[in-house]
Amino acid sequence: MNSPDNNRLEQQEIDASAKWPVLTFLGSALCWLVLGGALQLGAALQLHTPAFLGGCEWFTYGRLAPAAQNALVYGWGMNAAFGFGLWLMARLSASALRHGGWLFVAAQFWNLGITLGVLGILTGASTSFELLELPRFVTVLLLVAYALIGLWAVSTFCLRNTEHVYVSQWYLFGAAFWFPWLYTVAQVMLFQAPVRGALQPLVNAWYVNGLYGLWFVPVALAAAYYFLPKILGRPLNYFYLPAAGFWCLVVATAFSGGSRLIGGPVPSWVATLGTVANFVAVPAVVMISMTLFGTLAGRYAALKESITLRFVFLGLLGFVAASLLNFALSLRSVAVLLQFTLVGELRDWLLFYGCFSTMMFGAAYFIVPRLTGRAWRSGALVRAHCGATALGLVVLTVTLLAAGWQQGKLLNDPAVPFADLTKAMLPWFTARSVALMLLAVGHLAFFVNFCWSVCPFGSAAEAPAEFHLPPAMSLPAKEGHA
Amino acid sequence: MNPPPDKHTLEQAGASDESIRQVHTQLAHEKPEQAGGGYAAYPLVLLGLMCSSIFFGSIYLAHYSSHFDPLIYNENAKPVAGGPAVPVVTPAMLGKRVYTNICMTCHQQNGQGQAGVYPPLAGSEWAQGSEERIIRIVLHGLSGPITVEGKEFNNAMTPLGTVLKDEQIANVLSFVRQEWGNTAPEVKAETVARIRAETASRTQPWTAAELEKLGK
Amino acid sequence: MKNGLTLFLGVFATLALSWAGVLLTAQRQFGGLAQYKDPADESLNPAALSGIADQGRMVYQDLGCVSCHTQQVRREGFGADIGRGWGTRQSVARDYLREKTVLIGQARLGPDLRNAAARPYADAEYFYNLLYAPQSVAPGTNMPSYDFLFDVRPASDQPSPHALRLTGRFAPAPGTQIVPSRRADELVAYLLSLKDTYDYPEARPFVEPKQKEGGH
Repeated sequence: MNSPDNNRLEQQEIDASAKWPVLTFLGSALCWLVLGGALQLGAALQLHTPAFLGGCEWFTYGRLAPAAQNALVYGWGMNAAFGFGLWLMARLSASALRHGGWLFVAAQFWNLGITLGVLGILTGASTSFELLELPRFVTVLLLVAYALIGLWAVSTFCLRNTEHVYVSQWYLFGAAFWFPWLYTVAQVMLFQAPVRGALQPLVNAWYVNGLYGLWFVPVALAAAYYFLPKILGRPLNYFYLPAAGFWCLVVATAFSGGSRLIGGPVPSWVATLGTVANFVAVPAVVMISMTLFGTLAGRYAALKESITLRFVFLGLLGFVAASLLNFALSLRSVAVLLQFTLVGELRDWLLFYGCFSTMMFGAAYFIVPRLTGRAWRSGALVRAHCGATALGLVVLTVTLLAAGWQQGKLLNDPAVPFADLTKAMLPWFTARSVALMLLAVGHLAFFVNFCWSVCPFGSAAEAPAEFHLPPAMSLPAKEGHA
Repeated sequence: MNPPPDKHTLEQAGASDESIRQVHTQLAHEKPEQAGGGYAAYPLVLLGLMCSSIFFGSIYLAHYSSHFDPLIYNENAKPVAGGPAVPVVTPAMLGKRVYTNICMTCHQQNGQGQAGVYPPLAGSEWAQGSEERIIRIVLHGLSGPITVEGKEFNNAMTPLGTVLKDEQIANVLSFVRQEWGNTAPEVKAETVARIRAETASRTQPWTAAELEKLGK
Repeated sequence: MKNGLTLFLGVFATLALSWAGVLLTAQRQFGGLAQYKDPADESLNPAALSGIADQGRMVYQDLGCVSCHTQQVRREGFGADIGRGWGTRQSVARDYLREKTVLIGQARLGPDLRNAAARPYADAEYFYNLLYAPQSVAPGTNMPSYDFLFDVRPASDQPSPHALRLTGRFAPAPGTQIVPSRRADELVAYLLSLKDTYDYPEARPFVEPKQKEGGH
C-alpha cells in the first residue's frame, strides 16, 4: 500500500508536471500580496491622516481602498487558490497536470486582467460594486483565464487514477464550479442585462457572500482536510462527519447572502432567509471543527515542529471566529449596532485573511520545496512571517471589534455629532494601521524568502531538499480501540 | 560546509497521499459503532444540534418573513388580508408637497411669511376664513393692500390657476388650513371646480376689497 | 462519495437552488417594481434623475464615494438614522428606481447620503466647499479633499460667478480663484438630487396592531 513506486509518482512525476504552472500562480500571487498589502496600508493611513497622498486623484481613499481589496482578493487570493487547488487536485487524483503550458497562458491572462483592472479602479473606471469594482473590460480576460484553469482542475479530477474521492477534492471540485457561476451571474445581472433598483445590492450581496463562502472557504478547508492527516500521519477524526459538514455548510452558505442587507431597502424576507441560513450553518461549523480540531487533538506539540500546521491551525481559528461573527452579524439585534461599522469589515477580513490566506501561507510552505527541490532559504524569515501574521491578526481582530462596537454605539446615539464620532475613531484607525503594517512585514518576509528560494542562482541551489519517504498511514483501530 | 538544516525550511510529510486515500476509503465503509471508542455517541448530539437549528430556523422564518410579501420592510409586520395595508392619505398630506414646491418660497416653511413683504398663513384669518376668498386668490392671484393679522401688506401674489389642478388647490389649501395650529375645515376639489367655472372670465388678480365683499 | 456524478449534481443543485430561491424570486417579486403614481397630481415618483445628475452619479461611482458613505436609511427604531436627520422614513426598493446603478454601501465612515440634499444647510455652495476643503464646512472630518475637481484660475481674467467663496485658511492664494470643473458640477448636481421626499404606502412605519385597533 505504500510502494516506493507510488511515492516516486507523488513526488516526482506529479510535482514535476505541476512545477511551472503552480510556481507561476504562487509567484504572481505573492507579488499581488505585497502590492495589495501596501495599497491597503496606504488606504488605512489615510483614515487617520487624510493628507497622506492627498490631492492625488488616483490615490484618494475611495479608489485606493477598493484597488487594494481587489488586488488582494483577485490578485493574491485567486492566484494562490489556483496554484494550490491545481496542485492538490493533481496530487489527490494521482494524475499529472497535462499540457501545463495552457495554464501558463491562463495565468498571463488572469494577471493581465487584474493589472488592467486595478489600474482601471485607480484611474476612475470602477463600477463601485463591492468586489466587482474591476472595470467591465477585464471581465472577458478573467473569464477566459478562469475557463482554462477550471477546465484543468475538473479534467484532472475526471482523469483521476484513484477509486476514492477524498474530502479535499469535494471542496475543490465544488469551488471550481461555483466561482464561474457566481461571477457570471453577477456580471450579467449587474452589467449585461442589469436588474433594477434595490435588486442590484441584493445581487452584489449574493455574489460577495458566495465568493467568500463558496470559493475561498472551500479552498481553505480543502487545505485543512489535506494537511492535517498529511503532516500528522493520522486519519481524520470522526471520519463520517465531513460529508454531512460539507453539504450542510455549502447549502447554508449559498442561501445566507441576504443577511448582509438587514435593515436595507429590500423586503424583510430577504434578510430573514439569510439569517435562517446562518442558523443552519452552525452545526456545519461544529462538525467541521470537530473533525479538524479532533484530528489535531493530543498532537499540539506538532505545531512547534511544522510551520504548515501552525498556519493551518491559525486558519482554523480564523474560520471558527469568522463563522461566529457571521452568525452574530446576521442577527438583527446585533446588526442594528454593528452592521455598517468596522466589524462588518472584520467579518469578511477574517474569512479572507484569517482563514483562507493563512491556510495558503501554510500550503505554500509545504508545496514550494517539493516543486523546486530546494528547501526554503531562511528559516528565520519563515518564522518572522508566521509571527507577524499571528500577531497582526490578533491585533487587527481586537482593534476592529472594539472600534466597531464603539462606532456602532456612537452612530446609534443621535446626540453625538459626526465629527465627535470621527475623533473617537482616530486612535482605532491608528491601531488598525499598525496591525496592517505587521501583516505587511509578514508579506515582505514571505516574498523575499520565496524569491530567494526559487531563484536558481547562489547558495540556494546548493541546499537540495531531502524528503523522507512518507510512511503509510495506519487505521485508527490499530491504535488501540480494540 | 552547510549549517545544520533549519526544521522550518522543509516540511516532511507524515503519510503518503496513497495511504491517506486508502485509509479513508476503508474508514468510510465502516459503520461508526464498529470503530468503537464512543464515537457512536457523537452523531446523536450532532443530530440534535442539526434538528434544533432547523427547528429554530423554521420558527424564525415563520415569524419574520412577513409571508414573503415584497412590500413589507419591517419584519415585525404581517401582511393584512387583501394585500398590503395602504395607509390613509389625507388631502393635507398631499397638499404639503404642493406647498413645499410652490408656496414655501414666499410664505416660508413655518407659514409665517416675511414681515412686511409676504403675509403669514399661520393663524391668519384669511387662510382660515371663507374658502370662497382663498380659492379665488390661488386661482387668479391678489394684488394691492391687504391687512392680515392686523398688519398691512402691499404686494402681488402670482395666479396659480393654470399651474395647479383643482385637486391640488384643494389639497394645498387643506394643508394650509390645518397646519401650524390652523383649524379650518378641508377644502373640496368640487368647490374649487365650481369657483373656477364661476370666475372663468376673470383675467386680473383680485383685490382685498373685492374679496371682503364675499364675506368671511 | 465515490461517485463523481452525485458530487456534481449536488454541487450544481446547491447553487441553482440558491440562485432561483434568492435572486430569481426577488426579481419576480420586485424586479418589475414601477414608479408610484400619485393619485392627487398624477406625478410619477421617484422622478427620473436629470441628465447632469446622472452624469454626477457616474462621478460618484468612479470616485468610490461608496467606500465611506451608505445610501440607505434604516427605519425608525432600528438604529438612529432618522434621529440623525438622515431621512424622515425608511428607504424602500422603489426609491432606487431613479438610479441606473444602485450603491447603497456597506460602511459608514462618513454620514449616510440618501437624503443629503434634504438637510437644511445643504445647498450647492455647501457641497462645493465640502468637496474642495472638507474642513471648511465640516471641521474635524477625515474626508479627503477633492481639490482636483476644481480649477485654479488667475483672478485677473473675467472673475467667474461660480468661483468658490472661501475665507480664512481655506482662501485661495491671492490673485487666484477656485472654479469648479465640469465633474464637480455634475457631482454636486447628483448630491443635490439625493432627496427621497416622496412617501410611498410601503414606506410608512409599521404600527403595532394594538394601537391601530381604535382606527378600524
